[in-house]
Amino acid sequence: MTTYTICVFTENTIGILNKITTILTRRRINIDSLTVSETERKGISRFTIVIRHESREAVEKLVRQIRKVIEVLAVFGYLNEDIAYNEIAMFKISTPIGAKPLDIETINKTYKAWVVYWHLTYVIIQKTGTEEEIFEFFDYIKPHEILEFVRSGRVAVSKSPQTLVDYLPEAEWEYYQ
Amino acid sequence: MEFNETQTQTTQIADQPVSVATPELINGSHAVIQSLIAEGVETIFGYPGGAIMPVYDAIYDYQDQVNHILVRHEQGAAHAAEGFARITGEVGVCLVTSGPGATNLVTGIADAIIDSTPMVCIVGQVASHLLGTDAFQETDVMGITIPITKWNYQITNADEIPEIIAKAFYIAKSGRPGPVLIDITKDAQQKLMTKPFSHKKCEKLISYHPRLSPKEEQVAAAAKLINEAKRPFLFFGHGVQIAGAEKELLQFIEKTDIPAASTLLGLSSVSVDHPNYVGWLGMHGNYGTNVLTNQCDVIIAIGMRFDDRVTGDLSRYATQAKIVHIEIDPAEIDKIKKAEAPVVGDAKRALEMLLPLVNQNNHEAWRAEFKKFDAIEDEKITQPELAPTTEKIKMAEVIRTLSDKTKGEAVIVADVGQHQMMTARYYQFKKPNSFITSGGLGTMGFALPASFGAKVGAPDREVVAIIGDGCFQMTIQELGTIAQSGLPVKIIILNNNFLGMVRQWQQLFHQKRYSFVELQNPDFITIAKGFGIDGHTCGLREDLNDSLDKMLASDKPYLLEVLVEKEENVFPMVPTGACVADIRLE
Repeated sequence: MTTYTICVFTENTIGILNKITTILTRRRINIDSLTVSETERKGISRFTIVIRHESREAVEKLVRQIRKVIEVLAVFGYLNEDIAYNEIAMFKISTPIGAKPLDIETINKTYKAWVVYWHLTYVIIQKTGTEEEIFEFFDYIKPHEILEFVRSGRVAVSKSPQTLVDYLPEAEWEYYQ
Repeated sequence: MEFNETQTQTTQIADQPVSVATPELINGSHAVIQSLIAEGVETIFGYPGGAIMPVYDAIYDYQDQVNHILVRHEQGAAHAAEGFARITGEVGVCLVTSGPGATNLVTGIADAIIDSTPMVCIVGQVASHLLGTDAFQETDVMGITIPITKWNYQITNADEIPEIIAKAFYIAKSGRPGPVLIDITKDAQQKLMTKPFSHKKCEKLISYHPRLSPKEEQVAAAAKLINEAKRPFLFFGHGVQIAGAEKELLQFIEKTDIPAASTLLGLSSVSVDHPNYVGWLGMHGNYGTNVLTNQCDVIIAIGMRFDDRVTGDLSRYATQAKIVHIEIDPAEIDKIKKAEAPVVGDAKRALEMLLPLVNQNNHEAWRAEFKKFDAIEDEKITQPELAPTTEKIKMAEVIRTLSDKTKGEAVIVADVGQHQMMTARYYQFKKPNSFITSGGLGTMGFALPASFGAKVGAPDREVVAIIGDGCFQMTIQELGTIAQSGLPVKIIILNNNFLGMVRQWQQLFHQKRYSFVELQNPDFITIAKGFGIDGHTCGLREDLNDSLDKMLASDKPYLLEVLVEKEENVFPMVPTGACVADIRLE
């Protein structure tokens, strides 16, 4: 199984998420993570969809099917090496009185994670990084009781020098034929 | 429930009169009709209901400009719109209400997307303040139709109507055609637009760029493969008819002398009389076309998509051949069969560009190989089918007699099953744009409504629907539409009292365990007469000629029921999962 990151640029109208996910559902492709937000261009949304698949060919076909959605401006499929990418995670860690104190220095310096909220009996720690880095920290912090853990979807930017404006509106034809 | 519906309406009508618009500003419903007229729509297939009533109120004022055909079930509206679109190349239009009105369209929309048929469905929806409240006749039509439309959109503001309808027509018809659904809330139909109505046709969208002209380098690469081929084989599909590329296709096959075979939906694009025409492809296609698919060196596939009914077992399908794939939808390239030379573009443009680049050639010896297979097929299947010794009439002789009597020039609308395959096999199409059937979806019940849709689109042509006894009962109520509109379509029921194709499979692959395929049928002629349509039954071979003459001579709609052999099978056949070269003759 290889991880693919699919970046979809769409018009920002109601129901586009449904139009895209139905294409994956029909082919029984599960979404590992998904983020959506508006891009630097007003009215243009960017979907970052992470999937795992054994067949590159199947992913290429998927990309072409997503391109057929009328509101979709461009679709790009990437391997991990093609992109700079990150996720953000939040951990709510129990810190009851008398428990072993957190090693804040290690958390900060080794794991580049930060306490963003203090409470008498728990703290909230924020950690940014790749999925692997987040789970390394997860393993480290696990001996303390994890009350809640949440990971965002991946955000990714292509390492290519081209910008979105270079791709739109017609350039994607060059890419997919 | 009805009470609530009426309440809602009354309140809104009191606030804002539906039909009494000021001279400058019109309401959403009038905008819908005026936009349709601006798009050149002359015929609407529809069925009224609560959430679309404001539009129906508006149509009342435009009856001199728009011909509304009242169907008997919304599925009929969808198939009629498909029949109209398939014969004219124009967009078929349906108008229905929310909830069940919209869900009844679903089969037709799914049929239209898989057979690339341009259609715009205008669907009423509950008022916008009721969306998501499980209001009377509220269904999430947008959600339901996402996977089966080329585009769908919900209008909640009357001002959006002209622009969205223009966009709908552009999307439905351009590129690879397909169905578009526009869901319009009742308040958007009722409210006055805030600006004067103006309709501007859509010609370009920021996010949608169907490519008409292929890239020159792709065409050059295709020409090179074609010119180098020793045993080239051309497949043409529905895309040729959609692009109106029949003339260019003829020029191409005549210059290159390449044998050409049709898909089911490509039938009639090349006349059966043409020396380069070698038959059709697929599960019940011809013997030679299927076997020689696995012996050619280059396949030139034009406007077709390598459907599994064409390819059989893909791992043993034309593995020796290089593929030139001319196709307007880039997602079809490499989807099923990897193309060595993809050409993305409109079939007509692609053929125009390709023609000067391909060499004049002679493939007589290669074409003669098809004839050897034809002789075997003729002896083993075709002749026994056409000149049977059985007591009962066979489907093939009905179709061939009809073909002779109409000189192969009628518009034939076939339903789905054995009679469909027999029609494809035995009707000798001699005029382009003459065959309409549900190919991709295989929708039983398609033909009756599609036939009157086609008749509306081609009033000067003879339109004959060929329907099985099972199919006929799926949309039988459309006899009412035909009777009321007086459209003189001719209907032939090939009645074997079986769901014949399923029975054939049960015989061949399920040890003749006939599981729920035998039908106790009504008296079809009495039913037709009840609707006001004349007809008669033919059960004897010696009556067949006169029966067909009588049907064709009628200037009114006419139903001819032919009692055929109960258990005949369609051959040749490539069983599911078999290789095309292993096509069975018995």
